[in-house]
This record gives sequence, C-alpha cells and structure tokens, in this order.
Amino acid sequence: MKKLLTIILTFAILGVVGVIIVSLAKKDAPIVVVKGNKEHKPLPIKLHKTNDTQCAMLIETEKNAAEVVSPDGRTWFFDDPGCMVLWLKDKDFKEKATLWVKTLDTNRWVNAKEAKYRVDYFHSAMHYGFGAVEKDSNKTIDFNEMSLRMLRGQTLANPKWRKKILGK
Amino acid sequence: MNRLFLNSYVSVYIFSEAVSLILALLLLYITIKAIIKWDFNSNSKEQYSLEKSIYLGSITSHFLLIVKFILLVYLVYTLDAISIYIPGAMCAAGVVSANSYGMAMLGVKFITIFLLMLYVTFEKYDLEAKYYPIFKQREYILLVAILSIFIEGFLDYSYFSNINLDAPVSCCSTLYGNLEGHNPLPFNLDIKSMLLIFGLLFISFIILLILEIKALIFIIAPLFVAISYYSVVYFFGTYIYELPTHKCPFCMMQKEYYYVGYFVWGTLFFGVAFALIWTISKIWLKVDYKGIKRASILLLTLFVILNSSYVLIYYLKNGVFL
Repeated sequence: MKKLLTIILTFAILGVVGVIIVSLAKKDAPIVVVKGNKEHKPLPIKLHKTNDTQCAMLIETEKNAAEVVSPDGRTWFFDDPGCMVLWLKDKDFKEKATLWVKTLDTNRWVNAKEAKYRVDYFHSAMHYGFGAVEKDSNKTIDFNEMSLRMLRGQTLANPKWRKKILGK
Repeated sequence: MNRLFLNSYVSVYIFSEAVSLILALLLLYITIKAIIKWDFNSNSKEQYSLEKSIYLGSITSHFLLIVKFILLVYLVYTLDAISIYIPGAMCAAGVVSANSYGMAMLGVKFITIFLLMLYVTFEKYDLEAKYYPIFKQREYILLVAILSIFIEGFLDYSYFSNINLDAPVSCCSTLYGNLEGHNPLPFNLDIKSMLLIFGLLFISFIILLILEIKALIFIIAPLFVAISYYSVVYFFGTYIYELPTHKCPFCMMQKEYYYVGYFVWGTLFFGVAFALIWTISKIWLKVDYKGIKRASILLLTLFVILNSSYVLIYYLKNGVFL
C-alpha cells in the first residue's frame, strides 16, 4: 500500500510540475507593459493583443487610447484616458511620467497634460465620457480638471452625472 | 471620524475588536512577565503567583481564539451588509477593495487565528507533559500571535476610517470578472489545466499526510491554497452562482447562496491549518496528533466534495456544463 501511494504521489507531483511548465511556456499572454522606451515616445498599440492595465480589457482601437511612460522607459497602455488617471493616481512616478493620448479630432498622439477633453464623449471605451481633442471649445476641459472629475466619479458612467451632462 | 463608525454593524465590530485588544494587552503583560521570570524549579511566591497568572493567560488566549474566529465571520457579514452604503459595491468584494488595507486586514486575521491555534496545540502538549518542557517556546508563539492581534487592530481602524463613502469602488464583476484578454490565473494556466493541478495537488496533499512526508507538506500546502482559491473563484464559484460570468469569492457568503461560502472557505482554511499544525507538532514536539491529521484529511476532502458536488448537481440537472 505504501509503495502504491508513493508511486501515485510521485506521478501527481510530476504532473503538477509538468502542467505548470507547459502553461508558463505558452506565449499567448497579452501585452501589458513594454520596457525600454527610453525616448518616452508614444508606441504603436498592437490592437486586440494589448491589455489596458487598469480595466484589463483588450484595446480595440487607438482612438482616444492613452499611454503612460515611466521615467525608466516602461510603457503602459489604456483604452480610455479615465483608466490612465485611475491607474496613475497612486503611482510614485505620476509627476515625472510622460502621458500620451490619441486625439479624436486630429488622430495624433499628443501630450495628455496639454490635450483638451470633451466631457460628452459617450463612446469612450469605459463610458467615462472624456474624449481627448487638440482643439479647445466651450465643451472641453483641461487635463487637471478631467483628472479631478475622474477621481470624484463625475463621469458619464455615473447615472446622475450623465443626466446632468447629456440630459438623459 | 468616518460616518461608517456610526453604522451598527461596524460599531459592534469595532467595539468587539477593541475588547479583544484590551485582552491582548493583558495577555502581553502576562506573557512578557512569564518569559522573563519563569522558573519551574523555583518554590518562590513569585513563581506561584506567575503560575496562577499563566492560567489566566491560558483562558484568555482560548477565549481570544474563539472570539477572533467569530469576529472573522462577523466581519465578512458586516462587509457584505455595508456594501449598500458604498457606491459601486455589490458585495463584500467591492467593500474590501475600497482601500489598500482591506485585503491585508483579512490576511492578518487568518494568520492570527492560525497562530492562536498553534499556541493552543503547543500548550496542550506542554500541560500534558507536566514539567512544561516547551514553556518558553509556546510563550514566544503567543507573543507573535499578540503582535498579530495588534497589527490587526491597526489595520481594522485604518481600513474603516479610510473608506470614502463618496468615491465609487469596483464591484466583483470588475474585480474578478471575465475580463477580455486578461488571464487572472497564476502560471498562465487555463481553466482545464488549473483543475488538473487542483486535483493532483489534492491527491498529493492527502498522500503526504498519510505517508507523513513532512517537508513536502510545507511546499504543497501554500500551493494548494493558492490553486484552490483560483479554482473556487474562477470555476467552482460559477456553479454555486449558476452563472458563468459571476466570479467572486464573497457573494457565495450571502443568504441567496445559503451562506455556503463560509463552509467552502472554512473547510479549506481549517483543513490546511490543521495539516500545518500537525506537521509542525510532529517536527518540533515529536508528537503525532492523529486526531488533528484526521480532521485535516476530512476537512480537505469535504472541501473538494462540496465544490465538486455543485458541478455534478448542475450537470445532472441540466445535462450540460456551464
């Protein structure tokens, strides 16, 4: 009996180790962070294969997407500027990081701190309602205001706020 | 002061924790005195009075173990109950994630209970031996347990006072849900390979306990806890909720699911804790507490049967898996 149990145990432990090794060897894990972006430039996003670090959704489009480059060159990707704000709030490098957003109006990567944000862009990936644009208008706010509203929960994802902004 | 402290569930919890802290303070005084002044061979008055206070300490530690266990269950119930006050939270999962103290608080509570259980086992051995051969060792374990209780107290207060009732938190679907493209499982596992590992680890754990291969138990036990956690949240839980997208370790503790979560997590925690206590006793004290070992095997088996039965019953009822 003891011999049989020892054999079963050996096979079970070998099985566990084997399954873990095979799983680790699989290379289908989505991209979460890219290292070595020393120039702090916006990187092209591999659509459908890159994870938003905050909400963990796959990024489907570069439109209104955002990127954070840390001082050491690590780059994280976001499908919504709101996700970037939420993720960045407790990072110790938040002041030194380079932030990028892809604008809706000019379709360019611009510095997120200099971009303007529409507050009624209901089609933003997470429905927070902030759409990055380059051109200022009476419906846009700056980055600081957008961040504050995001952290306060004053987004279109909040039904009361949505009613106030969109009237529905 | 956070408005949450005015909530009856929270105030009862905080008050009970404060009482346990006062008891822990008393215990700390007795334990430090015992460590410094204990001399079993002495016939002095001081030693006599020390032995009497040790008896008080023993009763207090037993009482604390029971209270800590009840308070842990009550805490989970409280977290669930106050989820209605926190925007976005739909169960205890969202409430726990309201700040960074939540998960740490829960983790320390499990450690405290484990340490107190270990102390009680060592104390039992020491008292049965008549000459207190491991008196100082067990008092050191108690000292660590008391330290853990103080950390717990700090985390309890920090957690409840830092919950922002105006800031939205994530619900369990966001925290544990089926997030597209994101694999939350460890070692890049998929569900099938995770279940395979779960089964293999369970078999290994039981055989290790039967064959009494102690060193390997310390490796397999934490691995089994981690894989069991993920298996329950990402597979077995979906059968408890009968919904493939509902992945949450807390919702199963609600009335709607007949509070089964308490049994699920309880059998896992006590099964593994008993296994570790048996192993430590065997190595340290050279004593074989067969009852603890049997209880561990029974609880771990119950844990697996309980989880598997949900899958089996669902299949028998519906003819398909989720």
